[in-house]
Amino acid sequence: MSVLQIHAQPGKTTVWTLSWFLFAVGITAYFWVSSQRHIENPDDRVMPTLRQMGQGVVDAALKPAEEDQGVGDADQQSILTRFRHGMLWKDTEATGRRFFISMAVLFPAVLIGLHMGMFPYVGTFFLRFVLFFDKIVALSLLPILFIAFGIDELAKVMLIVIGVAPTIILDAFNLTRSVPREQIVKGFTLGASDFSVTYRIVFKQILPRVLNSIRLNLKAVMLFLFAGEMIASTDGLAYRIALLRRHMGMDTIIPYVLWVALLLFLVDLGMRLLNRQLHPWFREA
Amino acid sequence: MRKLLLLTFSAIMFGSSLFGAGTPPSFTVGWSVYVGWDPYQYMVRSGILQKWADKYSVAIKVQRFDYAPSLDAFVAKNIDACTMTNMEALDMPAAAGVDTTAVIVGDYSNGNDAVLVRHNRPLNQVPGQRVLLVEKTVSQYLFERAMTLNNLAAELKRVKYVNTSDSDIAGAFLGDTSQEVVVTWKPLVSQILKGKGITSIFDSSKIPGEILDLLVVRTEVLNRPDGSGQRFAKAVVGAWYELLAQMSKAGPDGDKVLSAVAAVSEDTLASYREQLSTTHMFYTPQSAVEMASSQQLKTTMELVRQFCFSHGLLGEKTSSADDVAIRFPDGSIQGKKERVRLRFDSSYMQMAAGGKL
Repeated sequence: MSVLQIHAQPGKTTVWTLSWFLFAVGITAYFWVSSQRHIENPDDRVMPTLRQMGQGVVDAALKPAEEDQGVGDADQQSILTRFRHGMLWKDTEATGRRFFISMAVLFPAVLIGLHMGMFPYVGTFFLRFVLFFDKIVALSLLPILFIAFGIDELAKVMLIVIGVAPTIILDAFNLTRSVPREQIVKGFTLGASDFSVTYRIVFKQILPRVLNSIRLNLKAVMLFLFAGEMIASTDGLAYRIALLRRHMGMDTIIPYVLWVALLLFLVDLGMRLLNRQLHPWFREA
Repeated sequence: MRKLLLLTFSAIMFGSSLFGAGTPPSFTVGWSVYVGWDPYQYMVRSGILQKWADKYSVAIKVQRFDYAPSLDAFVAKNIDACTMTNMEALDMPAAAGVDTTAVIVGDYSNGNDAVLVRHNRPLNQVPGQRVLLVEKTVSQYLFERAMTLNNLAAELKRVKYVNTSDSDIAGAFLGDTSQEVVVTWKPLVSQILKGKGITSIFDSSKIPGEILDLLVVRTEVLNRPDGSGQRFAKAVVGAWYELLAQMSKAGPDGDKVLSAVAAVSEDTLASYREQLSTTHMFYTPQSAVEMASSQQLKTTMELVRQFCFSHGLLGEKTSSADDVAIRFPDGSIQGKKERVRLRFDSSYMQMAAGGKL
């Protein structure tokens, strides 16, 4: 048996089988329990069958959202128009908008971290505060956030920023500090100015690692976004999930959760490809 | 020493196996913090429940939940009985195919749920505004009833609901002064009303008897062939009315019980009394039976089931409100006869009224 050998080389079929094995077990177990529950209670909503979920997906994608007004007779319209008015698209749009706005707001955090690492005055000014702020559990301060930012879009974006920005600032700071001092000295002896050392030597080197750290924080971003949408919202993926939970609409919730996972996976993949494109010399995962 | 331990251990094992043979069937009641349900926890603490459980030789466990998880647990059949409103009994377990029987009609909200506004905004100026509430709950039912009763039903389309979690709704409304309207329940209502310039323009006392608080049991549990389910129901109902009789006593005796009940939810006697003042408790089994067998209950349930159906709460695939039928104590049925999912059973309360428990 070579199973527990470091030098083992599993064949192609084995790799394929092994890597999908847990998926198969999970899915089989789910549908087995689901069918058992449906034999006992045909109206069961806790564990929908594949057919119910399929119907749930079609409904979510094509049926106009309950709050959507001004849509004419559904049968008259093309599938595309119906999809554009469907709740899945509208929710994805709303959540996606919030997601990208917060990502855009998060980017300056990288620059703050860089400057903190390079310029001692900036560093002293921010470091202690950011270290402290990083340990604050933003969700427990909600009532104060409501006073400062209302309960609309701004509050949701700020919740994410407050939750994730300190981590990214500190990470960029640490990465900046880890660039060898010799390189900076060398830059100066070659006649670079303070800013060209910062941007053209240090920033370029840390950027791929910073992108990775943002990738690792995607889940945190999504978590805060979901929390925000569940607290007070009129649209969005988490809003819908919160509503559907009110009447055990698991046939739509499960596909929604898988859809969110897929979207996150795609964003992650996109960032990885971008990273590889921008920094072909960078060889870490 | 080791021998002694071994001896003790085997004695315990022997003892427990001996007891195991006669272990009474065990049942779990789920409840959540609410003025009309707080007594359940005190029922355990005071030993009243134990007394009745022993009488009917069953074991009864009482467990506190948050409201939504308690419904989830009941639908998933993790607990046998649960406190909930008439609306949730219909749209959660009943609509999910879990045949449900209401054995206690405990009280109705007589002002506990309210529509609150800033700037004394009248109801006809609410359309066009954003309304903070937990969507698809009794809050939305109350709000839409308010609009209907004021001939504003056609304006409902112009109302923008903001689904707001009940754990944050007070902070959200008080913190964001640009929000004009909120619909919620007590004790949150009392908390929000303390804010400046906030008034109540409609509350559940204007629709008395429509938001009922029940104790429901899974019908399959009640129908267990060994009769243990019925014994369980008898025990709970018996304990409930014994406690309620104590609570309704005037004077220091009643006060002592009330403050003990209040303490269960970290509340004070004064605050609990204030909440009771907007809750119509059915202190006697007679009054509860009367409500359960009244024509009014049928009218209410008709309103509720139409509300649930038109808001998709009976499930996307339910094509008619009749698919989740309701049976009343007199045997009459709303909906399809073969699809009865929610039953109002007044027989246990009747027994309590007749002193036959």
